[in-house]
Amino acid sequence: MTFLRPWIAALALGFLVTSLSGRVMAFPVDGDQTTLPAKTELDEDALDKPREVFRSEIAGAKSYLINLGNLAFSSPAILGGVARQAGVSCETCHVNGAGNARFFMPKMSTRPGNFDTTGPLFNPKADNLVLDPVRIPSLRGARYLAPYGNDGRMASLRDFVRNVIVNEFAGPEPSPAILDAMVAYIQDIDFLPNTSLGPGGRLIGKTSDSERRGEALFTKPFRHDANLSCAGCHIPSAAFVDHRQHDVGSGGLFKTPTLRNADFNAPYFHDGRFDNYDQVVAHFDRVFDLGLSAQDRQDLVAYLTAVGDGARPYERDGAGASLKEINEFATVLGTAIPAGDKDIVSLAVDTIGNELRELTERYPDRKNTIVSGGEQQRVLARTALKQLVLTLRQIDMAMADGRSSDAAADYRNYRYLMAAAVPALLAGAEPWSLFNPAVHDSHYAALRQVMQSKHVSH
Amino acid sequence: MITVRVAACLALLALGLDMRATNAAPLDEAAENYRPYMIEGIGQALAGARALRERAAAGDLEGAKQAWISARAGWERSEVFTAGFVPELDAQIDAWPNADSGFHAIEARLFGAGLVDVQVDTDALVEHLSSLNNKLRDMPLTPQGLLDGTVRLAYEVGESKADGGESRISGTSLDDMRNNVAGIDFAYRTIFAPALTAADAQLAAALDARLKQLKAIVAGPDLRHIDIPALRRASEELVVTLQDASDKLGLRRATLEAASR
Repeated sequence: MTFLRPWIAALALGFLVTSLSGRVMAFPVDGDQTTLPAKTELDEDALDKPREVFRSEIAGAKSYLINLGNLAFSSPAILGGVARQAGVSCETCHVNGAGNARFFMPKMSTRPGNFDTTGPLFNPKADNLVLDPVRIPSLRGARYLAPYGNDGRMASLRDFVRNVIVNEFAGPEPSPAILDAMVAYIQDIDFLPNTSLGPGGRLIGKTSDSERRGEALFTKPFRHDANLSCAGCHIPSAAFVDHRQHDVGSGGLFKTPTLRNADFNAPYFHDGRFDNYDQVVAHFDRVFDLGLSAQDRQDLVAYLTAVGDGARPYERDGAGASLKEINEFATVLGTAIPAGDKDIVSLAVDTIGNELRELTERYPDRKNTIVSGGEQQRVLARTALKQLVLTLRQIDMAMADGRSSDAAADYRNYRYLMAAAVPALLAGAEPWSLFNPAVHDSHYAALRQVMQSKHVSH
Repeated sequence: MITVRVAACLALLALGLDMRATNAAPLDEAAENYRPYMIEGIGQALAGARALRERAAAGDLEGAKQAWISARAGWERSEVFTAGFVPELDAQIDAWPNADSGFHAIEARLFGAGLVDVQVDTDALVEHLSSLNNKLRDMPLTPQGLLDGTVRLAYEVGESKADGGESRISGTSLDDMRNNVAGIDFAYRTIFAPALTAADAQLAAALDARLKQLKAIVAGPDLRHIDIPALRRASEELVVTLQDASDKLGLRRATLEAASR
């Protein structure tokens, strides 16, 4: 296959060059026939995705348990009817374990980035008849951040995950194995590294004067209550949390959120009421009468920005990134097939197949008016991905019939295809795919234009 | 630059397609039995398109919408053969998302904007469907081509409908799916079922059961009440079973994606 390398490298270079001018375009759910309310924005078409860092990958590889948890996290099948029907999974809101600042669902959100977990849509039995959405949190570093929930009502992450599945999204009672796996996955999601933070959470390295002054203000006792300071709750040596709930004038008791990687966690506060650190600092200044000068506020914002930073927070979506995750999901089959675990095989087949079908649609078919070139490459890419979907389905059917050796053989075929041929075919079609920002933008602009005709007054 | 030959080799390597010569002579006659259905379906599409042009010209929005739905039904029943046998016309008639002509361009004007200014589009649709209609009596129908189309459509039925489906503006995506399944059902029963029953009755019974399952799923009252994960599973199981049947029928495994000729 060496003859392909210069060609693939040239394509990759071309792709990188075109990527520089790309930008994220959104396409809200629309129409009269969708399970989710019209105008729902899931931001699933974003070309830049939050980067996910795993603790286990620092020294080795992710375990079966973590991969199974990641798979379940991405599976609508573990949730209840409406979510399953709409293809919503944990991953929809917590993209790559981070938040989703663009997520918006009419009647369930009051602004992008928040969501009413006790609203009427997903589990009417849990509806509290009040529109009280909460910010969609990032799960980075969750293992350091107990208790769980914006109000910190649950000490156990396992209990919290179960509550989300069963009560908030009306899913069936998850098996202990699935719950264990999801907890293992979430606890493996690390903070993005931040070289500005040293031991004990102190700023180190090249820091500005403003950041230094902000750090001093952060630890300075409040002028009307010397027992209080920012650092008293956001303890720098403890991931900037104190594991407790406080009333900071936002309408109740809420747990202290971490400031690690918080630059990428807007909107802020339990309900996502604030867009930026300026508003957050102004709120504390007002509620606690801190008497901050304009310079003080600016310094605190500079400090928060330095603390909340993270290395390479986003990565460009592409076939490579999709296949990496899909391959990790597929490793679950390598354990579940020999173990005769039909339920896990079915879950994996449905979830991976779903991902592969979505990936297929990134390579527009013949009827798409936006793309005219690369038809043969697109046909090959789509064919290969469809063949993978069917190979997975064969595995599921074989397991259901008790033909585990056939399932194992199909799994070997699947891995063989994924080893080289499929990545090469996808790379060949990438310039004409929705991973190319120019094609992506044209495609979604066309879709929006068509859907907007629905809203022309007549 | 990669050559076409290398790409094709890669694809064959990837997909493990077998290159056996087909031995489907007994099916040739059966394939002819599909022709009246094909003529009827495209005939309905053409009659609907002509009525649509007439109603739109008369400023009758509701009449035009009804004619569009009728034309669409005939078209969707015919998709077993359109993509494979007349790919260029297929792409013109069913282009999306923002086509200049074809069903979806007209759909956006009628059902989206609520306007009947579609004369250019309906002229083109009638012309394309007429052109297709004129080909039908003499078009060579191969069992392999019809199996390919049946398999491709069975896979397509299982695609995500979370976005409202193919005809989301008119809200008729479920009708599309039902007509697709009707087309698959007719093609299978007319062309392949007798030969498969003779070759492997057990496999024919399994295929029959999977078709019934798919029909039961799309019989739901509206798109929101269709069990989408079950639909996808049933679609894929049907395709896998059809692929198994291809060996028994002396045909090659179906191609999963249509290409222009």
